[in-house]
Amino acid sequence: MKSRILAAVSVAAVAAAALTGCSGGTGSSGGDSGALTFMFRGSDAEKAAYTAAIEQFEKDHDVDVKIIMTTADEYSTKLKAAIAGKQIPDVFYIDPGSVQAYVRSGIIRDITDTVESTVDLDNVWDFGVDSYRYDGKTMGKGAVYAMPKDVGPFSFGYNKTMFEKAGIPLPDADKPYTWDEFVDVAKKLTQDTDGDGKLDQWGTGLNVVWNLPAFVWSNGADWLNADRTKVTVDTPEFAEALQFFADLQNVDGVTPSSTEAATLDTYKRWMKGEIGFFPVGPWDVPTYEKLDFDWDLIPYPAGSTGKPATYTGTLGIAVSAATKNPDLATQLAIYLSTDKTAQQSLVDAGVQIPNLKDMASDWVSSSTLPPNNKQEFLDIVEDYGRGLPATTTYSAEWYDEFFKNIQPVLDGKQTAADYLAEVQPRMQKLLDKANADAGIG
Amino acid sequence: MSTTAVRRSRLHRREHLTAAAFIAVPVIGFLIFIAYPLAFAVYASFTKWNGLTDPVFNGVDNYVQMWNDPYFWQVMGNTVFMMIGIPIGLLLSLLLALALNRKMRGTTFFRTVYYIPVISSLAAVAILWQWAYNGDFGLVNQVLAFFGIDGPDWLQNAATAKPAIIIMSVWKGLGYSMLLYLAALQSVPRHLYEAAAIDGAGALAQFRHITLPMLRPVTFFLVVTSIIGGAQIFIEINIMTPTGGPEFSTASIVWYIWQKAFNYLEMGYATAMSVVLGVLVFIVTAIQFQLNRRSQFSIE
Repeated sequence: MKSRILAAVSVAAVAAAALTGCSGGTGSSGGDSGALTFMFRGSDAEKAAYTAAIEQFEKDHDVDVKIIMTTADEYSTKLKAAIAGKQIPDVFYIDPGSVQAYVRSGIIRDITDTVESTVDLDNVWDFGVDSYRYDGKTMGKGAVYAMPKDVGPFSFGYNKTMFEKAGIPLPDADKPYTWDEFVDVAKKLTQDTDGDGKLDQWGTGLNVVWNLPAFVWSNGADWLNADRTKVTVDTPEFAEALQFFADLQNVDGVTPSSTEAATLDTYKRWMKGEIGFFPVGPWDVPTYEKLDFDWDLIPYPAGSTGKPATYTGTLGIAVSAATKNPDLATQLAIYLSTDKTAQQSLVDAGVQIPNLKDMASDWVSSSTLPPNNKQEFLDIVEDYGRGLPATTTYSAEWYDEFFKNIQPVLDGKQTAADYLAEVQPRMQKLLDKANADAGIG
Repeated sequence: MSTTAVRRSRLHRREHLTAAAFIAVPVIGFLIFIAYPLAFAVYASFTKWNGLTDPVFNGVDNYVQMWNDPYFWQVMGNTVFMMIGIPIGLLLSLLLALALNRKMRGTTFFRTVYYIPVISSLAAVAILWQWAYNGDFGLVNQVLAFFGIDGPDWLQNAATAKPAIIIMSVWKGLGYSMLLYLAALQSVPRHLYEAAAIDGAGALAQFRHITLPMLRPVTFFLVVTSIIGGAQIFIEINIMTPTGGPEFSTASIVWYIWQKAFNYLEMGYATAMSVVLGVLVFIVTAIQFQLNRRSQFSIE
């Protein structure tokens, strides 16, 4: 009897230890004052570009930089473990949505002075730097806490070859479609091309998480009010946008029929040339270059405001508040963000657009690779792109709540207005909690 | 030499020291890597902690929050629901083991085939199944279409996402249970069957009264470890349904804990949930040990 209880205890203890002890010490010490650590996540192309750039930095400043690279999935877990173990890397990636928490917890350093005195900020995208400004209450204003690693304009593309085959006039890159025009064209593109009685070509097929903001914003609606205290998804403009988005599949029938929202298959179909309109980010370009049809960028269709909208992603490079070597660490962050050679190798690898405006305009005019209308990327960054709603709040939980139970709307089983009325109080509660944690009333 | 003299001898003392040093290694290891984290976890569960700063004591707030958190109950329900795969898997693996225990051609081949999923990386297997479950191109629906069935989009549908995960888990774990059953089957003493045959017991009676009872320790081991493993299901969930599935239908408790701890800055609350999960696993395991003891028997 006794031994059995003991056995049960030990089995349970091992199980519990496996659970609670899952955070290992992965960070590396920022203790050695002669060395820096740089922790980031990314692809092999990024690693190659950074390794070369950092070698140059090491030579120029006579310092060792230790590079810690993780996969995208592991990054936040490993960084949190490093922070909990007080082994914070000197320089590391941060997303704008984490800035408030990291600033309030004293993890990252205010680098405004160095940035303003050494960087030509007129030549860096405002969106990039402003995404990491925080004045203690509002994001986008005040001190700079990180330099942009990249800016990622989420643009809209169309299959030129498909348009030409269908004899439809090409879309105008300077004049976005209205929603009605967009649906009309999408309906014309939705066809059974081989006459077997089954559709094999569709107007579009969009993932709700990444594409809905474009429709909501261009219809004059938003997730939050200006001072980020109220969730405003229960407005008629918002409902109209969400309903329009869901109707593309359920009423207009211009997307593949399955309930698939995770784009795996519409992405594949786009690449097989079966989809007319599909989103394009700079990171897609190396893959899309190899497509066997012509494609180009256009603005997203515009809702009631008449103006296109979409989101711009970004990732930042921040400096640890605990670093023993603040000057060099800050210089490294700035160097990785704005050094021409480092930027050039990242642009050549096709993973991002240049952070520097002059480089970007060269890139637009000189590169002969698709897309033709690269300017659209720059227009988004400079003009009509916005950060995702959750990047301006303390935690993203309130925003994720929006998508948790949205499937019935996308399947046409619930109206957008009903869903929004139902989800708003839940989101508001989570936003209130986030704001309370951030110390905002 | 008398024993007291031995105790006093220097050699004896030195041996004692050496012994203590050897014992110290696992004991210290236990203290540092199990006892301390466990104690700290219990403490952290009573704190407000975002994982970035030091935890601040806030009493039972986390536990109250848990009680009132509908998602906590939902993910608990999901986790328990997904354990349906355990009895199914045990039954299937027993049948397989019985089949492969017979003397026929190709058994080695089949044993290997069924064991391959076990040694494959769970992450890789999850990605594979994610493709297999794709509504339009997936292998699963292609097979169903062959039989004239129009398969659903498995992972995008609240009604089919959980079964999809269960089917995959059963497939993944089948080989392991099968192998243990196979080993147990082969260690059942032949003379028991011979004696039973002499007494006139048929194949079915032999199976019921000899094979099944002799397999009980393996079944017990598998049930206990599967329930503990099932309570901690995470990797396949996170890969196949990274947002917790349609309408949160595949979010498991550990996935939810991870989400709260590392994405929503609620390390304290997440730790409280881990503690509750740990206690529940302990209780369930203790009950199983009790039940097993009552139904145990021995052969003299």
